Formats: sequence, structure tokens, C-alpha cells
Amino acid sequence: MSAESKPFGHSTRLPSLEKAAVWIVLVVLLLVAGLSSEAFFKLNYLTNLLRQAAPVGIAAVGVTFVMLLRGVDLSVGAVISMSAVLCALVMDGRPENLWLGIAASCVCGALIGLANGILVAHGKVSSFIMTLGMSIVVYGLVQVGSGGTARGIVSPGFREVVNSRIGGVLPVLVICLLFAVAIGIFLQSRTRFGRSVYLIGANPEAARLAGLPVNRVTVVAYAVSGLFAGLGGLALLARTGVSGTNPGAGMEFDVLAAVVLGGTTFAGGRGSVGGTFAGVMVLFIALNLANVAGLPFAAQLIIKGLIIIIASAAHSWIGAGSGGRKQE
Amino acid sequence: MWTRAIAAMARQGLPRIYWALFTLVLIGMVTAPQFRTASNLANILEQSAVLAVLALGQAFVIAGGMIDLSVGQLVGLITVIACMMFEAFPSLSPLVIVGCIALAALVGLINGELINRLRMSPLILTFGMLSVLQGFIFMLTDRSVGQVAPAITFLSNGRVLGIPVSLVLVAVVGIAAYYALQRSIFGWHLLAMGNSSDSARKAGLNQFSLTRTAFLVSGLCAGIAGLLVAGRLGTGFPNAGIGLELDAIVAVVLGGTPLKGGRVSVIGILGAVLFLGTLSNLLNLMQVPAFAQIVVKGLIVIVAILADRPGRAARLA
Repeated sequence: MSAESKPFGHSTRLPSLEKAAVWIVLVVLLLVAGLSSEAFFKLNYLTNLLRQAAPVGIAAVGVTFVMLLRGVDLSVGAVISMSAVLCALVMDGRPENLWLGIAASCVCGALIGLANGILVAHGKVSSFIMTLGMSIVVYGLVQVGSGGTARGIVSPGFREVVNSRIGGVLPVLVICLLFAVAIGIFLQSRTRFGRSVYLIGANPEAARLAGLPVNRVTVVAYAVSGLFAGLGGLALLARTGVSGTNPGAGMEFDVLAAVVLGGTTFAGGRGSVGGTFAGVMVLFIALNLANVAGLPFAAQLIIKGLIIIIASAAHSWIGAGSGGRKQE
Repeated sequence: MWTRAIAAMARQGLPRIYWALFTLVLIGMVTAPQFRTASNLANILEQSAVLAVLALGQAFVIAGGMIDLSVGQLVGLITVIACMMFEAFPSLSPLVIVGCIALAALVGLINGELINRLRMSPLILTFGMLSVLQGFIFMLTDRSVGQVAPAITFLSNGRVLGIPVSLVLVAVVGIAAYYALQRSIFGWHLLAMGNSSDSARKAGLNQFSLTRTAFLVSGLCAGIAGLLVAGRLGTGFPNAGIGLELDAIVAVVLGGTPLKGGRVSVIGILGAVLFLGTLSNLLNLMQVPAFAQIVVKGLIVIVAILADRPGRAARLA
């Protein structure tokens, strides 16, 4: 896609290898993980890994669209927090409020994304700072709403159902993650919205001249990102069962790292939801590897950082030829 | 030299953030009687020093179209190391100061060098580095350690004739940054790289050297900021730097430097830092609850960025 739309780009030679880069990194990392601990190849362990990755993974699907448009969404961490806290507050431990809580979180997530989108598209301002400001606002609102303590109780059944394993093997949460990824892939490759995102991201000016509704697509992309972050918050709430006060703190950077590891660049127009999924897996295997090795928390942080750096370096090395520095 | 600099500044006019700052100061003067006391104003300047130094360092990186997310944790690391060393070797404090700043500069240099050699996105590399540095901090300690040397306390909290000593430090760093970014060949080249990495390369600029230097300066400033934080806290608090990198980026952008780089205003950045400092001071004086303060701060960032936009040229990022 990007090869045709960027005639002066460099990726014409090996587009397939570039796209496969993150998967190669993933396989290598899995092999390393498998060598270091046999547990990694057990189905239970892998599904557990996916369960852990679900909140970040679901949010990352939405952020992929924003980044394809040369934007970035730093508010997802705060939206994840908002979604989890709001849902628990609305549910209030009563079974009849189950769907109300879920709906409230989704709607609020999408509305925050919508606000981001409108401000970025029509305000023509840096999405980095705009969504950073939004994340501060949302974080503050969450604190005001929760009063600084963990309030709200999830409805009975919510946690049990989402955490159960179908047939004793496949956790429902993993299905949710895969479903979110499937929706993302569908949006990306089968809808007019998805195609517009790639074209606008590759060259906004040309897309505008060609008559594409640049602003509308941008607004929709941010709304999608907000909605998926809201769903990610629900996944987090279901996994942990308590809302806390700021459960999504710092997750925006995990999401961002996963998307970039997955091959979506800040230059826009290149990348895919599938790649993002692989990026999420790379990130979480890295975290688990440090965990399994029994390293202290401090060492885990160092290893996480190093693996992000090494995986990203390996990725751009494999994808060399598409090369050059992506410094935008 | 001085007159030319001031003339150039007058031509360009004051960055727009100063209007917001003046408005805020005016509101403060009218509504809060404690606001206009000399000691409160000195307080604001003192509290803003850390962010000012950090933002000026970040300006080098952002001017070149890059970003450095690792500075917050670097501040934390330097704070912890400095306080541990000050306690262990009380007689060698000048050496410790130099060592800490050199260490921070080295981390910046490593950032730049890795970006060059691995051809990586600065955002991802420095994000990885953020995690690595945080790991190092927690390897050293998980609670507040050590104590700070009197010299650093004086630098952070001292006042001579009512004027904060840290203000002098910020002025020195600011003037140096102004000449490096807006009055030197290096600054021209860095801004050219920020404007268009491709054109800069074709024009034969040494991007590797520019990148390296920009990150070196960013690390250096984080080192100075780390010492200032140590002086303010009096002890090495491992979480001291959390989130500072984002504050610094916000200050740089509010000061009229776009994240894409290619344009920079040191005066604007200092104005933005003062604006943020005055804002939180005023909110405190007005006894706005802490959580509501967060909301107000976020809204102000959004409003300020909308008000400061160029207002032409469609761009998405």
C-alpha cells in the first residue's frame, strides 16, 4: 500500500520483508523464551500471556489507526483508567447494572476520542501535546470522580465470565483480544475508512486534493482509538476485579511501544493492526521473560527497556532498505 | 552582540505565551493578596528552576525534530546518586557535582550514539532508556537515601538579597541555550535538520554529530536539574523524576517550539515555564483542591496549544 503511494519512498524493494520484520523478531524472541524456560511453550502459559496483554493489546489496535494518520494518542492510559473506574462505579456491585457500566465506559471512551479527534483535526495542533493535555484532564476527572480511593464494585458475574476459560483452555479475555484485533484488521483492510487512513497518512496534502474527507477520517480514527482504550479499560477491570484510582497509569507508553515495535512509524501511512498485535506480543514476552527468570523488579525494568531497544533496532535492521531514520 | 540579540528579539515580538503569563499574573495580583508578595514571587522562580533547566535541554532535542523521554528518570537517577555520594564522601562534594553532571551527559551521549548507530526512532530508544534508568534507580534504592551537600542546598534554595540563586543558574543556562540554538551555526544546522532531515542530509550536514550533541546537552541539563531536585528535596528520592519529561515537553511546546522541530524560542520556553509555575502557585493560593488542579492544568494546556497554533497550513501531527 505504502509502496505505491510513496513513489520516492525507499520501501519498494523489500516490502514483504519489512512487514515480516516484527514477526521474525517475535519468533526469535519466542525461541529464546522457550530455551530459557520450557513453560513458554505450554498452552496455558501462552494464553496467560495473552490475557495479560489484553488491555494494552486492545488499546493498541485503536492507536494504530491514529498513528497511521501521523498522529499519536497519549490519552489512552488515562482513558483506560477512566473506563475501569467508571465501569466499577456504575456497576456498584449490582448485577442489573452490568451492561450499563460497560456501555458507559465505551461511550465515554469514544467521546474522549471524539474530542481528541475534533481538536486535532480542526485545531490543526500537535496531536502529541493535545492528547497529553487530554490525558491530564481525564486523569484529573478520574481522581475527582473516585475521590482518590478505589471505589465501586464490579457486578457479580462480570469478572467470573471474562476470566473463565472456554473448555478449560481458551480464556474469554483472549477471545476478546483476538476479536478486537480481528475488528481492527477488518476496519483496516475492508472498509473505506481503513483505505482512507493509509492514503491520508502517506500524504495528507495529496489526499485532501484528491477529495478525501481528511478531517472526518481523522476524527473517526481518534474516536476509534478512544473506544478501544475504553474496551481495554474494561479488559483490565475484568482481569483485576478492582478499579484502583489510576490503573492505566503509564500504559500509553506500553501501547505506543507496542505499536511502533509492530512497524507503524511516526511518519504515517505504513504499518498494520496485525503488526501491532505482534508488537504487543514482543513487549509482553519481554516482560515475562524477565519475570520467569526470577529477576528482581529493578532488573525487570532494565530488561524491559533493553528488549524494547533491541527489538526495535532488530526490526529496523531487518527492514533496512526501508531504512533511514524515522525521526518524526 | 547583546544589542543585536535584543534587537532581533524586539523584531520577532514576544512569544504569545507571555500574554497568557501576563494575564495570569494580573489575575493573581487582583484576586490573591499573598500572590504579589516578593517572597511568593521568588518562590515561583525557585520552584520553576528545575523545569526551566530541563525544558531548555529538551529544546535542543526537539529543535532537531527528535524527542527525549528519558530525562525524567535521569533526573531521578542523578538525584539518588548525588545524595548517596554526598553522604558517603562529604569532603569531596565538588568532585561529586562534576561527576554527576558528567554521568548525566554520558547517558545523553549514549542515547544519541545509539540513535545514530541503531538508526532508531528517538522516541522508542529514549522510552526504552526511561525503563532502563528506572531499573538502575531501583537497583540502588527503593526509598529515600543520603543527604545533600550544603552547596547544592544553597544553589536550590539560597537567596542573596531576596533573589534566588537558582534564578542566576537558570539565566546562565538560558543565555547559553539562546546563543547555541538561535545565534550559532550549530543552532542553524540543528534547526535545519528539524525542518527537513532529508534536505539537511543532502546539504551535507553531519546529522550524526548534531544528534549526538543535542542529546548530550539534554543529558547535561538533566544532570543539573537532578542536582537542583536533590537540593530542594534534601534527600535522594527515587521517584523524584517521574513525569518530569512530559512537563518539560509541554513547556517547550507551549513556548512556541513545534514538536516537529525546525523552530525554537528560548525566551518562549522560559515564559512557558514561568506560566506553568505561576499557574500552580495561583491554584494553590486559591485553595483549589488538588484533583481539580489537575483538570485545570490539563484544560489550560489544551487551550494554550489551541490559542498558539499557527492558524494556517493543514498538518496532522
